[in-house]
Amino acid sequence: MAEVRLKNVTKRFGGAVVAVSELNLDIADGEFLVLLGPSGCGKTTTLRMVAGLERATTGEIFIGERSVNDLEPGDRDIAFVFQFYALYPHLTVWDNISFPLRAQNLSSSEVAQRVQQVAKQLRIEHILKRRPNHLPSGEQQRVALGRAMVRQPQVFLMDEPLTNLDASLRADMRVELKHLQQELGTTMLYVTHDQIEAMSMSHRIAVMHLGVLQQVDTPLDIYNNPRTLFVAKFIGSPPMNTLDCHAEGNRLRGLTGDFEVTLSAEYAHWLRNTPEVVFGIRAEDIRLLDAGAADVDTQGVVTVREPLGDETVYRVDVGEHHLMVKTSPRQVFRAGENVGLAFNHERIHLFDRATGQVV
Amino acid sequence: MADSQVAGRSITELKDPLRPRFSWFTDRWIAISFLTPTMALLVFITVFPLVWSLYLSFTDWSVIRDANTAPTWIGTQNYADLLMNRRTWERFVVTGQFVVPSVTIELVLGFGIAMLLNRKFNGRGVIMTMLLIPMMLSPIVVALFWRFMMQGEGVLNYYVVNLFGSDPVLWLTDRWVAPWSLVLVDVWMWTPFMMLISLAGLSAVPKYLYEAAAVDRASGWFRFRHITLPMVAPLLLIAVIFRTMDAYKLFDQALVLTGGGPGRFTQTASLYLYDLAFGQFRTGEASALGYIMLIVIIALANLFIRALNSIKATE
Amino acid sequence: MTAQRQTLIQKIGFWFTLGLVIFFFMFPLYWIFVSSIKTRAEVISRVPTYIPFVQFQPTLDNYSAILVGGARESETGVRTSADLSEFRNRLVNSVIIAGASTALAVSLGTLTAYAISRFRIPAESDLMFFILSTRMLPPVVVLIPIFLLFSNLQLRDSYFGIVMLYTTVNLPFVVWMMKGFFDEIPVEYEEAAMIDGYSRLEAIWKIVIPEAIPAMAATAVFSAIVAWNEFVFVNLLNRTNANTVPPYLNSIIGVGAVEWGRLAAGSVVFVIPIVIFTFLVRNYLLRGVTFGAVRR
Repeated sequence: MAEVRLKNVTKRFGGAVVAVSELNLDIADGEFLVLLGPSGCGKTTTLRMVAGLERATTGEIFIGERSVNDLEPGDRDIAFVFQFYALYPHLTVWDNISFPLRAQNLSSSEVAQRVQQVAKQLRIEHILKRRPNHLPSGEQQRVALGRAMVRQPQVFLMDEPLTNLDASLRADMRVELKHLQQELGTTMLYVTHDQIEAMSMSHRIAVMHLGVLQQVDTPLDIYNNPRTLFVAKFIGSPPMNTLDCHAEGNRLRGLTGDFEVTLSAEYAHWLRNTPEVVFGIRAEDIRLLDAGAADVDTQGVVTVREPLGDETVYRVDVGEHHLMVKTSPRQVFRAGENVGLAFNHERIHLFDRATGQVV
Repeated sequence: MADSQVAGRSITELKDPLRPRFSWFTDRWIAISFLTPTMALLVFITVFPLVWSLYLSFTDWSVIRDANTAPTWIGTQNYADLLMNRRTWERFVVTGQFVVPSVTIELVLGFGIAMLLNRKFNGRGVIMTMLLIPMMLSPIVVALFWRFMMQGEGVLNYYVVNLFGSDPVLWLTDRWVAPWSLVLVDVWMWTPFMMLISLAGLSAVPKYLYEAAAVDRASGWFRFRHITLPMVAPLLLIAVIFRTMDAYKLFDQALVLTGGGPGRFTQTASLYLYDLAFGQFRTGEASALGYIMLIVIIALANLFIRALNSIKATE
Repeated sequence: MTAQRQTLIQKIGFWFTLGLVIFFFMFPLYWIFVSSIKTRAEVISRVPTYIPFVQFQPTLDNYSAILVGGARESETGVRTSADLSEFRNRLVNSVIIAGASTALAVSLGTLTAYAISRFRIPAESDLMFFILSTRMLPPVVVLIPIFLLFSNLQLRDSYFGIVMLYTTVNLPFVVWMMKGFFDEIPVEYEEAAMIDGYSRLEAIWKIVIPEAIPAMAATAVFSAIVAWNEFVFVNLLNRTNANTVPPYLNSIIGVGAVEWGRLAAGSVVFVIPIVIFTFLVRNYLLRGVTFGAVRR
């Protein structure tokens, strides 16, 4: 059980490529924190630096009270679950799981007891004598987990462990992992590019992009209050609708001239300083009304309708822009129909077009 | 049928996506024409002479003496003579004394060097290419120059005498040293081959296995025994098979270096065969010896391949 | 011991060992090179010398004798000027013979490998083992019958005969390597092309062969090395015509006092084309080695 702290951590490869830039991140003891971002954003590099598989170019990393920059991975009291499981191919599952304990001078009965306990927790007792190569990926992954758990480390580090599983297995494992972490109470640092995993499992999410930390917040906060344009567009399915606009007073005009929305008066104050903005609104915060209805913010034409069963997603063209709208399945609009769009003004997001930061 | 053609094919064919585009007939033709030249060459230049050689092995023909007469059949007498003769077995022992140390040293040394090279450092590409040069030289050239260096007053002895103060070593003429000189030259020439194969195998081991071992605080020995070795072993075994086959066949180097001497202490089976065939012109008997050699190597190769298959089966 | 000091020791150990290895393999090569620029007297002198200009005066006589020929007959035991350009003839022959047989082996072998990989050939694994087994033959075994065969067919002392022989020698290796390679290329590429209207031959030419070029380059290197350096057969079969450099190098040593300098110069010149060829293709070599050998 320990907290993990990264202070001003930078990682440069070969002098030119900056993988991680000035990262400051504190992970509380017992927290499940997900490092989320597209490939190449630096999340895996960060994880590997905490593990000791990469050395930070500058900055300090603390696990618990110790600064671990100069410690070998084996000395940091961490466990690492690899994307491709990294199970020793010619040892049995039992040997794979018991192996990390060999360095710890435990009696063989204690080792056996721990392995059995872990095997029971992960329901892999029946395969203890088998070799990893012949196992299906779900079970291989559990063995990898077992090997990590048996050490009873201070921190668990996981590198996209669910990516190689098929969808239904992934869904089950998400629940199991979350459960497991709650039971064990160990600090967990988890890397993924899948936002569903991030949203469902974590206490907090740290979104990274091009080596820079974008935002660290609870899942709901990330969703409802994205602080950068990148975060706003990365989280949410379908992605947030964004339109480049120019502001006049408290009116926003789309740059191609065919989109206009009037915001409430308070906005005028901020918009005077940053008139070039990006207007963002999520698909579920738009209501579709009949074309002639009152109280609409703008008009558009339905082009695509995707009935998903529990909700329907429409693609609505407003001039040159395409907006995705989520409605309840009871509302039905046909392709080609003119509709009015009403925005939930409490859920509008504005971003400075130059910096991407929220206004 | 329809008149319109598209790209030379009738339109009815194009309409049916399920009908295979390649007809069984033309494929058969292609397969035959691709296989025939190769098989013809192989059969003609290897099988045919082999059969002829087999026939000769049952005769007492001599290519010099009987050039214009038909061979006389003597049944299995050649084989009996050879197999009963202690000298024949001595030749095979000498061959074994050469092959086993050579291949073993080449394996260990080549693998060791590969492990050394299996990391990024400046000049790796150049160094690797340089280390491959011994393999690229003509065996004759290699043998000739080692002979030059191993002369009584050659370079090697210069240092042996002046640096170590001992008597000059009779590299090629001492009955105990000469076999090891042969081994030395072969090791010099073919270790790079083992190095190349080992390096190929080592670079195929996934890096994350080593990383997991680092996290688990595995010792270097564990890493070697349970990660490196199992993954590289099949490839190494294939390399050993090839190298054993080649060392067994070795001929030109030995001929130039020692010619079988001193006396017959380095006369491998290959050299003996050469002597029988082109020194004594006992063609029939030479053919018989050749077949004996062939049977030995096929049996050996079989053993190796079975070992290889059993390794692959446990994966 | 601090971490830094330990890595320094490791580094020193690494470079020291590597240095030893390089020394062991490079010393004879350097010796050959340096011998090629020494005079006759210098070459056989008791005290070995290594550094040109500092320890001895280098000379290009050996190279000019080998390559240019000319009226150099003042030294005893030396071949006549006519023979001195023999090396050039042999070199040309080597290029022709090795080049032709390599090209032939690689093209025929690749096609055969393709056929075995793609089509259902009866007794495929037996066929492959048979092809491999031809490599197991000690050349001395085949020497006598080949000699007789070629004699009877008037193939001795001919380019055609030796090229056919070398091609046959290299075919098994090419077939094994290329088959392993083709096994790794998904059939879907050709099928897609054929669905698009290409005939199979066109698909092979346009799609498969370009993919195969790196592997073909690697096999070409190994085949070229074999053909280039081959000694036993060409020495026996092509005594009077169409012979290559290796027998010539061997014959230098048989004539009275050995011309080590000339031998060295000849060897250096002879190895350069192969070194260049290999250096150009070095990236494909590692890949070419594993294809066909590691098949899971």
